[in-house]
Amino acid sequence: MKKIEAIIKPFKLDDVKEALNEIGIQGMTISEVKGYGRQKGHKEIYRGAEYVVDFIPKIKIEIVVSSEQADAVVEKIRDAANTGKIGDGKIFIFAVEEAIRVRTGEKGTDAI
Amino acid sequence: MTKPYLQISNKLKTDREKLIASIDRLPVIDFLQSHSLILDSYFQQSFEESMVGPRIGLNKNPYAIIALGGYGREEQCVHSDVDILFLFKKHIPDEAVSLIQEIIYPLWDLGLQVGYATRTLSECIGLARKDYEILTPLLDARFICGMSLLFSELMTATREKILRKMSKKVVAWLVRTNAERHQHFGDSTYLLEPNLKEGQGGLRDYHTMLWIGRIKMNIRQARDLEYFGYLSHDEYLTVTEALSFIWNVRNRLHLQAGRKIDQLYFENQIKLAQSLNFKSTNGLQPVEKFLGTLHSKMDFMKQQHLMFLREHALTRKPRYKIKSKKNPGIESIRTKGDTLEFSSSEAILQQPGLLINIFEESTRMSLPLSAEAKRMVSEFSYLVNNRFRSSETVVESFETVLKEPAPTFNVLREMLNTGFLVKLIPEMKGIANRIQYDEYHLYPVDKHLLRTVQALKRFNSDLDESGCSLCGKIWKGLKNRKLLLWAALLHDIGKGELGKDHSSAGAVITRRILKRFGYQPKDIDTVAFLVQEHLLLVKIATRRDIHDEETAIHCARIIKKISRLQMLYLLTVADCVSTGPNAWNEWTATLLRDFFLKIANVLTKGELATQRAVKASEHKKEIVLASATSKAGKEELEKLYHYMSPRYLLYTPDEEILTDIELYRKLGDRSFVWDISRNRMVDSRTVRICAQDRPGLFSQIAGSFTLNNLDILNAQIFTWRNNLALDIFYVKPPPDKLFEKEHWERAERDFQKALAGDLDLSAKLAEKIKTRRTISPKVSKVPHRIVVDNHSSSFFTIIEVFTYDFPGLLFTVTDALYRAGLDIWVAKISTKVDQVVDVFYVRDFDGQKVDSEEQADAIKAAIDARLPKIV
Repeated sequence: MKKIEAIIKPFKLDDVKEALNEIGIQGMTISEVKGYGRQKGHKEIYRGAEYVVDFIPKIKIEIVVSSEQADAVVEKIRDAANTGKIGDGKIFIFAVEEAIRVRTGEKGTDAI
Repeated sequence: MTKPYLQISNKLKTDREKLIASIDRLPVIDFLQSHSLILDSYFQQSFEESMVGPRIGLNKNPYAIIALGGYGREEQCVHSDVDILFLFKKHIPDEAVSLIQEIIYPLWDLGLQVGYATRTLSECIGLARKDYEILTPLLDARFICGMSLLFSELMTATREKILRKMSKKVVAWLVRTNAERHQHFGDSTYLLEPNLKEGQGGLRDYHTMLWIGRIKMNIRQARDLEYFGYLSHDEYLTVTEALSFIWNVRNRLHLQAGRKIDQLYFENQIKLAQSLNFKSTNGLQPVEKFLGTLHSKMDFMKQQHLMFLREHALTRKPRYKIKSKKNPGIESIRTKGDTLEFSSSEAILQQPGLLINIFEESTRMSLPLSAEAKRMVSEFSYLVNNRFRSSETVVESFETVLKEPAPTFNVLREMLNTGFLVKLIPEMKGIANRIQYDEYHLYPVDKHLLRTVQALKRFNSDLDESGCSLCGKIWKGLKNRKLLLWAALLHDIGKGELGKDHSSAGAVITRRILKRFGYQPKDIDTVAFLVQEHLLLVKIATRRDIHDEETAIHCARIIKKISRLQMLYLLTVADCVSTGPNAWNEWTATLLRDFFLKIANVLTKGELATQRAVKASEHKKEIVLASATSKAGKEELEKLYHYMSPRYLLYTPDEEILTDIELYRKLGDRSFVWDISRNRMVDSRTVRICAQDRPGLFSQIAGSFTLNNLDILNAQIFTWRNNLALDIFYVKPPPDKLFEKEHWERAERDFQKALAGDLDLSAKLAEKIKTRRTISPKVSKVPHRIVVDNHSSSFFTIIEVFTYDFPGLLFTVTDALYRAGLDIWVAKISTKVDQVVDVFYVRDFDGQKVDSEEQADAIKAAIDARLPKIV
């Protein structure tokens, strides 16, 4: 099993969700996060005062899938989240040791 | 279990089953009472058949079985606790344990929740005196069986030994614990998962009123609340109705959950709405109607409870201070203690304006209305008609209430609670207690509107919950707060019109309301605009790329004026803050603020959001689409139109756009195409170059021209969204006109080579300039000036270069920019005599502004190093 963690632009969430739906991914965890990478923060001036956005709002998606599915998922996310501009985000892939469904105790891919 | 007991408990079981089966036929009050009676008869029969009972000896040590709490009040829901007291006159005999085994155990076997206590009379009084948690169930005590005299003794002792001596203390405790309970369980009239019993507006509020009545006036039945003047006749009827509804919900909730439960969880709501027979109408789900009704009933209970406490001066000392001892400025309104009241009901009949005057005075003096005054407002609000609504003084009074700065008590809410607000603005009827069934909206629509008004007024104060200091600053500087407050009060009013987009419907209703109140068309436009667009900022900020300039321009064009943007932003934040915790957090705040600042920038600095720009882009869309010859062609053109940037559309004449489209079609896979045209009036050529954009493109064209003695007079760069560069050069033809064509062809070859990396333009040019001439001695000695501006645009760094003309200038500057890692998105080059002003909109190769001081200085130095030194 793999855990796929993707940081994307907020307005791309619906596109990504839809794209993943197409390949039968039903569940995911999302969070509103802030941060920066190559896309740096910036400042805006309003009436002489400076407003700094040093951490840019992004969305983090976390999905655990079977190892066979991982590549397809990554590709879908990359396609859907891509605008060609800076700040499109990153995708990380982790190996998952075990998954357990709390209600039933099912394990492994049955639990995801 | 012996036989008679088995029979008795079986009977209880079947009786309860029968009762439960009749739940849809029986009014809930009868159900609860019947349930209590069924239990009573169980206790009576067990008492009669008891094997242990006779051994205790009723005469030697009299005892009684007494119902307490809800069971005592005969309010027994399906799974309510059965609270029982075994009361003994003198001492608790050894047999008591077996007695309880006999009577209580079968009930447990049936799955009933039984709480019992075994006490002597003196124990009972002693404990109740010390612990009021034990006292309150006694207030509801009801005799079931045994020695009835003993029960009377208990009641007398409770009254004489406890209540008479410390009624004040007990009442104060009741009020305090109930307030604490509200703190803990929340305000049921707002919550999506309200607690039917413990929350504010729940059954405990009613119990508290009843208990206080019992303590103070020794009332026995709920009906006596009216008899002793605690409630008016109408109020008593409405309380009974509200109670029945809440009981009904609770009773069915117990049945559904199969256990005692007071919290109305999401999972139960849909089924309950069904079992209570709510039907879906006008697009409202049954569950939404159900929750709306429940909230309104609980709200009534809450208000009644608050009024009750207030009337009996049982609330804690008011937090607000009386501003002055002055009397109200209006004759027929006077103060009564810490409250305001009407001098007489006749006065209202003669002068209906008093109905709003009292709220205005309440605002001005920071004094609430007395319970009686609120009652009178409710009862006389039928006097509010269209003439009343359009009266100038009424509008002024209402504005005073609306504008009242962040208050410690909320006059608007009082207006809503008395029903006056709905009379004043009848359109609000459609949204009173309207629930939206999702986890996002925490409050019914009408409460949400009032909270939004409140949130606005809290900006720039200690009570501000938005955490947004910019909002406070804008609010402080805002000129026409009145209009914004109106928009806050009305922004969701369209939710009463089902099946329509609530923003548009709301704007229409808003116009109607404000027109009736006599507002100026200009003001009506502003408020209607705010209502119409109140979701714009949130929607766009979350669904579009706010780091794309066009997103900001798109919004700026809709909003048009900075003052409107400010109001819309404040409304958006206040709306989010008042919706619920899921709608507002720091993340959303950052996103919205950033977006606001970007639009503000476009509106204050840019020419792109002007009327003219909007008209130009509309006109150009027509021109572009009109050039289509087929349907497929039209679709392609529509796509192309969307690629064209706002600046391009604003500055490019109609026919040139068409030329550019032709060029784009010709481009195909080629690295560039160009079109050279002669200008009739002046001896110059216009070269339009269409190419896939890449860093350094512009400098390479400029270099190729200069290398071939084509002097550049003027130039512009536009970039389409599909990464297409359109560079337009106005060029002086070569002196040698006969061979002009050859010049162009050479330039084209050079450009191609440069693009392919086969030609080092800067080396070639340096060589050429050296051999040709040195800098003209005529040139002015004004030093060059390079300005890096990061303020004027949120999306580009703007670089202005003021210098004098010299051969290869444009190449030199743009090449310097390219080498500094900058991509040119827009350029305006103009030459006046020998003074040159070049403006470049640049970003780094990643598409970001270069806005640190060091970067700006580095750019300046890089350009400066390439400009000729002044001797």
